[in-house]
Amino acid sequence: MSLIRCPICGAETTWVGNPTRPFCSEACQLRDLGHWLTEQYTIPGTPADAPPLDDADDES
Amino acid sequence: MFREGILRKAPSPTPMTTPRTQPEGASGPAAGVSFAPETAPLPDATETYTADSITSLSGRDAVRLRPAMYIGSNGELGLHHLVYEVVDNSVDEALAGYCTHVEVIIHPDNSISVIDNGRGIPVDIKQDDPKKRSAVEIVLTELHAGAKFGEDNTYKVSGGLHGVGVSCVNFLSEWLRVEVYRNGFVHEQEFERGIPTGPLRQTGRTTKRGTRVSFKPDGEIFTTTTYDFDTLAQRLREKAFLTRGLTIVLTDERGEQERRQEFFYRGGIAEFVAHLNRNKTVLMPEPFYCEVTQGDVTVEVAIQYNDGYDEKVFSFANNINTVDGGTHLSGFRTALTASINAYAVSEGLTKQLKENLTGDDVREGLVAVVSVKIPQPQFEGQTKNKLNSDVKGLVDSVLRERLKTYFGEHPAVARRIIMKAVDAARAREAARRAREISRKSSLSNLTLPGKLADCSERDPAKAELFIVEGDSAGGSAKQGRDRRTQAILPLKGKILNVEKARYDKMLSHGEIGALIMALGTGIGKSDFSIEKLRYHKIILLCDADVDGSHIRTLLLTFFYRQMPELIERGHVFIAQPPLYKVKKGKVEQYLLDDRELNKYLLKRATEDVQVTVVPTGQMLAGRELAKFLDKLLEFETFLPKLERRMQRDARLVELTLQACTSEDGYRPGRKLHMLFEAEAWPRRLVETLSAAGYAAVLTRDEEHALFRVVVTLPGHSTPEPTVAVDWELATHAEFQKCVTIYAEWRHAMTGPYLVNQGTTTMTIPERAGLSEQILALAKRDVTIQRYKGLGEMNPEQLWETTLNAEKRTLLQVRINDAVETDAVFTVLMGDAVEPRRRFIEEHALDVKNLDI
Repeated sequence: MSLIRCPICGAETTWVGNPTRPFCSEACQLRDLGHWLTEQYTIPGTPADAPPLDDADDES
Repeated sequence: MFREGILRKAPSPTPMTTPRTQPEGASGPAAGVSFAPETAPLPDATETYTADSITSLSGRDAVRLRPAMYIGSNGELGLHHLVYEVVDNSVDEALAGYCTHVEVIIHPDNSISVIDNGRGIPVDIKQDDPKKRSAVEIVLTELHAGAKFGEDNTYKVSGGLHGVGVSCVNFLSEWLRVEVYRNGFVHEQEFERGIPTGPLRQTGRTTKRGTRVSFKPDGEIFTTTTYDFDTLAQRLREKAFLTRGLTIVLTDERGEQERRQEFFYRGGIAEFVAHLNRNKTVLMPEPFYCEVTQGDVTVEVAIQYNDGYDEKVFSFANNINTVDGGTHLSGFRTALTASINAYAVSEGLTKQLKENLTGDDVREGLVAVVSVKIPQPQFEGQTKNKLNSDVKGLVDSVLRERLKTYFGEHPAVARRIIMKAVDAARAREAARRAREISRKSSLSNLTLPGKLADCSERDPAKAELFIVEGDSAGGSAKQGRDRRTQAILPLKGKILNVEKARYDKMLSHGEIGALIMALGTGIGKSDFSIEKLRYHKIILLCDADVDGSHIRTLLLTFFYRQMPELIERGHVFIAQPPLYKVKKGKVEQYLLDDRELNKYLLKRATEDVQVTVVPTGQMLAGRELAKFLDKLLEFETFLPKLERRMQRDARLVELTLQACTSEDGYRPGRKLHMLFEAEAWPRRLVETLSAAGYAAVLTRDEEHALFRVVVTLPGHSTPEPTVAVDWELATHAEFQKCVTIYAEWRHAMTGPYLVNQGTTTMTIPERAGLSEQILALAKRDVTIQRYKGLGEMNPEQLWETTLNAEKRTLLQVRINDAVETDAVFTVLMGDAVEPRRRFIEEHALDVKNLDI
């Protein structure tokens, strides 16, 4: 896998020898970290009319 | 720039041209007044001296002695600057509305001609000049001579305000020739190193109008005298953008073939920013553009964002590129930041941010041109790199008003710009937090997260970290672990109720922070350090359900993106907690998944069960039976998929499989492709199907040069559905699996069957019920417990099955797995709603596919 796509901007970049792999740049790496730390990454779950998931029960 | 009657010297010498640096030994350029250099005159200067030229001589010597002070340098920069000075004068004519065409020619000897169709430099004798010289000669031989200093504003705005320009070019040229086309006559004068070789002469008649200045830069002054086409082209293009309607043509006569480029931009600076963005993805389809004149100041701004991170802003004052900015640029910046913040707040777009968007945030991906035209521009320093005139407030207020209107009219564009700035602000915030986390985690173990139950082992190579989904499972793991080498970090996916419509999963920033701190590596390009990793095995322990797979996807994506070295070095693992516990009598056994459970049950079943296939009389028992049932179960997972491809006609599928595996059909070891190569087998299939009541025909598969059978299904709908049995169908895995298994076990694929266990025998009429019946027999005295989650296991069970290094199975995560996980993640995160919906639908029932 010599060429990869930067997960943030989609630009083609390399894995080998790239200090900010899998990103094309530190800017994109930082942007991604920003998304993690500000809770922008969510995985769409079950519809709300379905019974909530197990650990949602735990929370209540 | 030069006009009759008003040509005069500056009323006061150099009001705004204090040089920033004054070389030692020089008394400074007392421009416009007599100046005796302290050093000896240059050798060539004495040759053509006359008393008449003494005033200009002093200016000339000053310039020749220290060219850098007037044109920036005596290198490449200064060399090109000569051209700009001459072109600027033509552009000034264009700004005044008298010139539409400028031609710049690089001649083979690197001399330059600049030809315009302006009014032409005034040619008559200046009456108040003591030496009775022509206006042309004065502007070419005296510093600070020109119409721009006149109080009656011949040029309301002008870039070459200082008037040093064209005379400097003359002083620094080996020769300079000027031709003026004016009032029907041609006037010519020549100079050598700034000194006229004769007076201005009228040489002929013409219908043209304008000025032609040709010159050859002096090799005694310049370290290089070779012009660069692209450098000139870039600057001239800039000039053309800034001067709407002006055509500038650049021609290079040096090469074998003449090179020529024409610059003409009706769109002005809006076209300029579009040009700067030509290879970029832009956030605004059309640039923002405004031009406002207040009093005698004109402000022009063009803005267009792209999706990159760089800022590219050009500022101009009277078409001079102010590379160090100045008051107009700071007014622009203030207005942009304030306008974007105001709109963002009014639309509630910055709620997630703690503070306002900063100037840096709103300038990522910004491409803009700010251009002001002012009557008496004040610059800082000689080189006009920074504007000092008091226009900040004006630019600010004008732009604020126009941007407010623009955002109101283009809400979608405004939103895009703001979201980009919000993104930038988040990255800034992330960088701050990353530094904080890295700093904290490097301090000492005292700052380890409270939720972490650490191990006592300090050697990372021997230490393991289990990241356990859910608090209850985390509790069991803490009790069940080996405290010496196993650390436990309970992690819980945060649940987000999205507009009361969906329960979304994410990792809270607290969880991420705790994770980074537990690992000890720090985070970010400059802070991450693999040497500080506290555990060489990082083991994800998640439930085997959709939720668990989501958490795992999140964690692996995080590692892949932010700590790829962990995966590269093989530090990341996935634990394999069992899904089932089976118990027979006193014997307990844990089983990983459905496949293992089936295997277990089949093994048990075949201990005392025999099966007789009635049509063939074949008897299956023991290992042979286990093998058959194993294959049968596999067959049964693929069969429904094949049926879906064949209009859900189970009988058609069965007949086709039988035909496929008949005498001249497929045999283990052969290739499926051969079925369609010759006519014999497809013809047999047609016969078989026809006998069974289907309308089947043999046709050619022209695309693959093969045969195909098309079956029309008897039905009520029109047109009647058809199924093609051909190479295309055979390329699908479900067809291949079904055919190969069917071929291998052909003698046992058709019932009825007799199933015998001990003294009881029962009859199973069809294959479909066989495996189910046998599994039921196997389950009879076995208890099967399915773990819905890790929480259902007690600490001992968890140790026994998952934590104990002697017994557990771990999957090591490799980069390829992580890449796939990231791809899944990207689809799940993506803006593209359709692929995401499809993905979730396809995988909702098939949790395994979300796993790596």
